Order: sequence, then structure tokens, then C-alpha cells
Amino acid sequence: MSAADLARLQFAATTGIHWLFVILTMGLVPFVAIMHTRAAFTRDPVRRVVWERMARFWGQLYVINYAVGIVTGLVMEFQFGLSWSGLSKFAGNVFGAPLALETLIAFFAESTFLGMWIFGWGRLSRGVHTTLIWLVALTAYASAYWIMIANGFMQHPVGHEVRDGVAYLTDFGALLTNPNALVALAHIALAALTTGGVLVAGISAFHFARGTEETDLFRSSLRLGTVVSTLASFFVIIVGDLQLPLIRRTQPMKAAALENGDIAQVRAQLVKEHGPGDYVFAHDWLRISMDAMTVIGNTVSTIMLIAVLLLWKDWLVRWRPLAYLLTALIPFPFIASVAGWIVREVGRQPWIIYGELKVEDALSPVSRASLVVSCTVFIAVFVALAVTNWTLIARFARRGPVATQLGTTEPIADEDPHGHADGKQRVPAL
Amino acid sequence: MTLETYWLALLGLLLAGYFVLGGYDYGVQMLHPLLGRSIGQEAQHTGRNTALDAMAPYFLGNEVWLVAFTGVMFGAFPHLEGTLLSGLYPLIVAILVGLVLGSAAIQLRGRAHTARGHRWCDVLIVFGGVLPALCWGLVLGLLLHGVPHRADGSFHITPGDVLTPFVLACGMTTTLLFAAHGAAFIALRSAPEPAARAAVMGANLLRAVGAAGSLALLLTLFGAGASMTNRVTSAVLGALFAASLAAAWQYLSRGHHGRAFAASSSATLLPVLLVGAGHYPYVLINSAGTGLTVHQAAADGATLKILTAFGVVVIPVILAYQTWSWWVFRGRTGRRHPSYF
Repeated sequence: MSAADLARLQFAATTGIHWLFVILTMGLVPFVAIMHTRAAFTRDPVRRVVWERMARFWGQLYVINYAVGIVTGLVMEFQFGLSWSGLSKFAGNVFGAPLALETLIAFFAESTFLGMWIFGWGRLSRGVHTTLIWLVALTAYASAYWIMIANGFMQHPVGHEVRDGVAYLTDFGALLTNPNALVALAHIALAALTTGGVLVAGISAFHFARGTEETDLFRSSLRLGTVVSTLASFFVIIVGDLQLPLIRRTQPMKAAALENGDIAQVRAQLVKEHGPGDYVFAHDWLRISMDAMTVIGNTVSTIMLIAVLLLWKDWLVRWRPLAYLLTALIPFPFIASVAGWIVREVGRQPWIIYGELKVEDALSPVSRASLVVSCTVFIAVFVALAVTNWTLIARFARRGPVATQLGTTEPIADEDPHGHADGKQRVPAL
Repeated sequence: MTLETYWLALLGLLLAGYFVLGGYDYGVQMLHPLLGRSIGQEAQHTGRNTALDAMAPYFLGNEVWLVAFTGVMFGAFPHLEGTLLSGLYPLIVAILVGLVLGSAAIQLRGRAHTARGHRWCDVLIVFGGVLPALCWGLVLGLLLHGVPHRADGSFHITPGDVLTPFVLACGMTTTLLFAAHGAAFIALRSAPEPAARAAVMGANLLRAVGAAGSLALLLTLFGAGASMTNRVTSAVLGALFAASLAAAWQYLSRGHHGRAFAASSSATLLPVLLVGAGHYPYVLINSAGTGLTVHQAAADGATLKILTAFGVVVIPVILAYQTWSWWVFRGRTGRRHPSYF
């Protein structure tokens, strides 16, 4: 493999794995925020405990995923400078701004507030504590917005002009309202909610199938997960298709690959516009990914619609195979998300900034040996992290709310000199 | 002062903030097997570590300073970002690997359900503290000394550039300094018994920092170390660094943990200031004595203006909520504090 191939592989593998964490982080945090809010505003003490345990149970899974997601995200921030310094030399004036603003406006707040939320159980007032998780949710989506603005510029560069081989920002408003970024943002937000909803519904159904005693907790979770993912999975398909007109207009080769268009003609057109070069890149991958995404999207959407109807009188979970079917559905939104990422990013090739800078021209002057080492190490570490993440999520999901560690204080016998029982309580006061 | 200088100052603030906050994280990570285990059976049983508990609520808020530093460098100084990160490729990759493994281990340590899992996490936590601390010192050493010169402005480090006495001395200095700073943090935050042990260890570590720092200084005086652009400024900053170390040592020995932590924080951020102010107007200096100036590194004026419009609102807000989070979790940790990591 050449240095360019290695750098490409490193970026694709790390970003692809990071994306799996991102989609679940975005998908779960609204659920946790809703549950925590319900806990804060429910007067009936029994129901309140149920909502609070729900928030901590799903919050636990969310926080495990976030922990791994944030460390992979840390690497992403450095990747452009490490391997693709040509990007900052050519488009740093334009492309860097959304990344800088993402860290300052969104990521800084998300991480600080999540740290406070995790350690705020029993320490912060109810209002402050629920506000924190909503701020975490809000900044997670704000983060996605800025990243999509940066990515949208790579897909469909707007709001700039090129002088002497360097891009200059001329219209910040155009950059912030890039239709390519906005429609994709809506698409991934809905995809994330689908992913989160299916996960919540699937795990809840699993516990019903295993005869859980926590019926209140998992019934409420099941309802929330099913309803949200039904709505989200319906609209995710529609919004996804909304991207096609713009793709046809601005990325003809991607459109040709997705829609079985006349590739030879598009190639001739691109050669005429941008000079000779290889403009056909992994078309089979694009088509397979697009098909996978379409099939999964429609299947999940249909199953969840039926599932919503079967919520009536718990029919959905009364018959075990049906409950397990819902559990088996959990991985599919993730597969669809990766497929969507392939369509978007592989379909952009050979450009790093569409029509203006090619990937191979943006490569840093880094030795091939360094790349071999870093590529191997990063992929090994990221795969290990993904395996750890999913093992832990599966374990904590299977054990149920009893095993939740988030928001509990350790049961310590000698804490209180008078030996009161409150030191032993696992459930903290809200 | 131009807009570029303001953004350079902000970049410095973010990196300094990261050194102070991330620095004590790494120190705590390095020392947690020594200082974190409280005596008693139940601690053995639960696997709780008082050193890790001390930093736990701040941990997620600390590492974002590095991400923000990189983001702002990309936004405001794209030419520095591309040149610096790709030039220092092996060191940056090592820092990232250490960070990734260490941070993941800290956050997932509490989820491990076997003694073996705990041990693995502990090893990774120490590794993830030592490696970034060492490599940041090597990076600082290279930036103080000047990176290899190439005609097109890019550079690429080789083992020969890193394995020089001065760069290695800088690496030793930051590793020991972060460890001492972490000990000062544990002394400030933990229950009295572990705090007293941390203070003793911190004082010893500070003496070692003094020795390593003196070595770097000696090498510089004999012409084998840093070649500073602004000598007077650098000398003043160097003296302040020495004074901070001495003050931290004094306060730790006398049991003034708050003041000791303030002094060790000052010692941790001064190296960042030294690289920035010592070479101003250069942000990156090469062995030929020239390099990339602030102006050459900065983004176009139009971009900087837009960033500034956001910055004047966002930066004070960030500082406010970070301060708030420190305030909320102030005080010494005890066993009644929610433990999660």
C-alpha cells in the first residue's frame, strides 16, 4: 500500500468506528434526558423511583458509550493535521472555523456538563441536574451541526473563493446554511434517534422475554423506544431521499453510482471539467451500501410501525419470539449508519474538497513507515475499544437496573458512626 | 495588539489550561497505584481508588482543553496546525495512543468485574499518564530548541532530533512536573491521611523536577539547548518557573496544600508561556533560526473576525461554567462522594 492508501485507511477506519459511537451517543442522550425529566417532575413517589432508575439504567449504557466515543473523538480532532496537512494549507481559512467553533461552543460544554451530570447524583438540585443532561443533549446535536458544516464544505464547497491556490471565506452565512450539510444533519439526527429507539426497545423486549420483574420500568422504556423509533425511522427515509436532487446536481458520479447512471458519460464530463484522473472509485461498495441502507431502513421502519400497534396490552412482548425479534433488530441501524457513511464519504472520492482539492494532493509529507505503525496501532486500539464498548454495554444491559453503577454511592458499613442505614442505600436521594 | 495576537494568546490560554488540568490528571494517573489505595479491606474489595476519586468529577472537563486547543489552532492558525502536527507525527501519535488508552481505562475501570480487569486498567491508566507527559515534554523541548529546517517550510522529525540530551531533559522535566502537580492535587483533594502521603511524595518529586530542569538549563547555557528568540523574556519566565517550583516545595512541606497546588499550577503553565513568549513573533522556530511567524500561521483576517465575534461571547461562558464545575465539586473527597470511575 502506498502512503496515501495507508493514510486513507487510517482515516476511514478510525472515523468509521468513531461514527458508531457517535450515532449511539446522539441516539441515547434524548431518551436519558426525557426519563430524567420525568423523574424530576413526577409527584407519585413510586413512579418517580421508576423513572429515576430508568434514567440511571439507560444513562449507564449511554455513559459507557460516551466514554469510548470521546476518546476516539479526541483522535479525530488531530487527524486532519496529522495526515492531511494539505487540507489546512488549502482550506484552513474556511474549513478550520467550524471545527474551532465546534470545540468551543459545543464539545467543551458537552463534556464538562456530562462530567457534572455523572457525579451530580445526590449532590445537585433536581432542576440543575436535569438541566445539565438537557445541555449535554443540546450540545451533542450542536456538535453534530458544526461537524456537518465542515463535512458539508468537503462535499459541496460554498461561501468561499480561491485566490492563488488558497481558499478564502467570503460568505459565512452560505457556509452555515449549506444545504448539503443541513439535510444530512437532519438525516443523521433521525438515524440516531432510530438507532437509540431500537436499542431501548430491543433491550426492554429482551428483559420481558426473560420474565423480568421490573415490568413498569421496561414497559415505559419499551413504549418510549418504540414510539420514537417508529417516527424517526419513517422520516429518516424521506429526509435521506431529499438529499438526492442536490447530489445529482453537485456530485454526478455519486449519483450515477447510486442510481445506475451512465458512468462513462459522467466520467467524460468530469475529465472535461477537472482534467484527467480516476473518477470512478469503489462503485460496488457504494451500491451495496446504498442497498443495505435502503433495505434496513424500510425493514426497521415497517417492523417498528407494527410494534407500535402491538404495544396495546403488551402484545408485543407476550410472545417471546416477537420480543427477541425486536432485540435482534438492534445491530441493523448501526449497519445502516456505516453504510450511509460509506455512501457519503466514499462517494466523495477522489476529492477531499469536492471539485477543488484531491485527497492525494492533501497528504502530509509523512514517511510510509510512520504511517504503517500509526495505522496498525490506531486500528488495533479502536477495534479493541469497540469490542470493549459493546461487551460492556451488553453486560450492563443484560444485568438490568439492579446492576446500575451510575448514581449510586457505595454501600459502606462503617461510614456513619451511629450505624444508620442511609449509608447503605444504593439508590440516592434525587 | 492585533487580532492575530489575541488569538495566539487564546491558543496559549487553552494549551496552558490543558497543561494545568490535564497535567494533574496525568500525575494522578501515574501515582494512583501508590497513593490511591486506602488501607482497609473494603477498599480492596470495591477497588475504589482515592487518587482517581479525587480527579473524577473534573476528568471529562479537563481533557476538552486539549481538543479545544487543537480546534482553535485549526481555525485560527491553520498553517501552524498542518505543519506542526504532521512534522511531529510520531510524537503526536504516541500522545494520542496514551490518551486514548488512559482515558478509556479511567472511565471503564469501575465497569471491570474481575481483579484481572482492574489490574489491566491500572496498568493502562499509568501508561496513559506517563506517555503523554513524557511526549509533551519532548514536543516542548523540540519547540524551544527549533525543529529541523526544510526549504518548503515543512519539517519531519527523526529519532536523532528527539534523542538529544536537551529534548530528553525536557521530557524528564514535564513527566516529573506533572507527577508532582498530581501529587499536589491529591494533597489538596483527598482525605487527610492520603493527602499527607501525597504531600511528602510531591515534595520529593519537586526536587527531582528541579534537578531535571537544571540540566535543561545547563545544556542551554552551554549552547546545546534552547535557542530563544527573546532572551530577556525567557530568562524572566525561567526564573518564575524556578520560583514556582521552590514555592510549591515549601508549601507542600509546610502543609499549605491550596497554595502548593497554585504554585505547582504556575510551574505547569510556565513552559507553555516560555514557548509562546520566548519565540514571539515566531510560533514555530527551526534550527536555522527562522520559522513560521504568527502572521504567516494565522488564518485570513475575514475568518479571524468571524471567530472573534463568537469568541468574545463563548470564551467567558466557557470559563464561567468550568469554574462553576470546580466550585460544585470543591472540598475533600470522602467515601460518601458519588464514585463512578
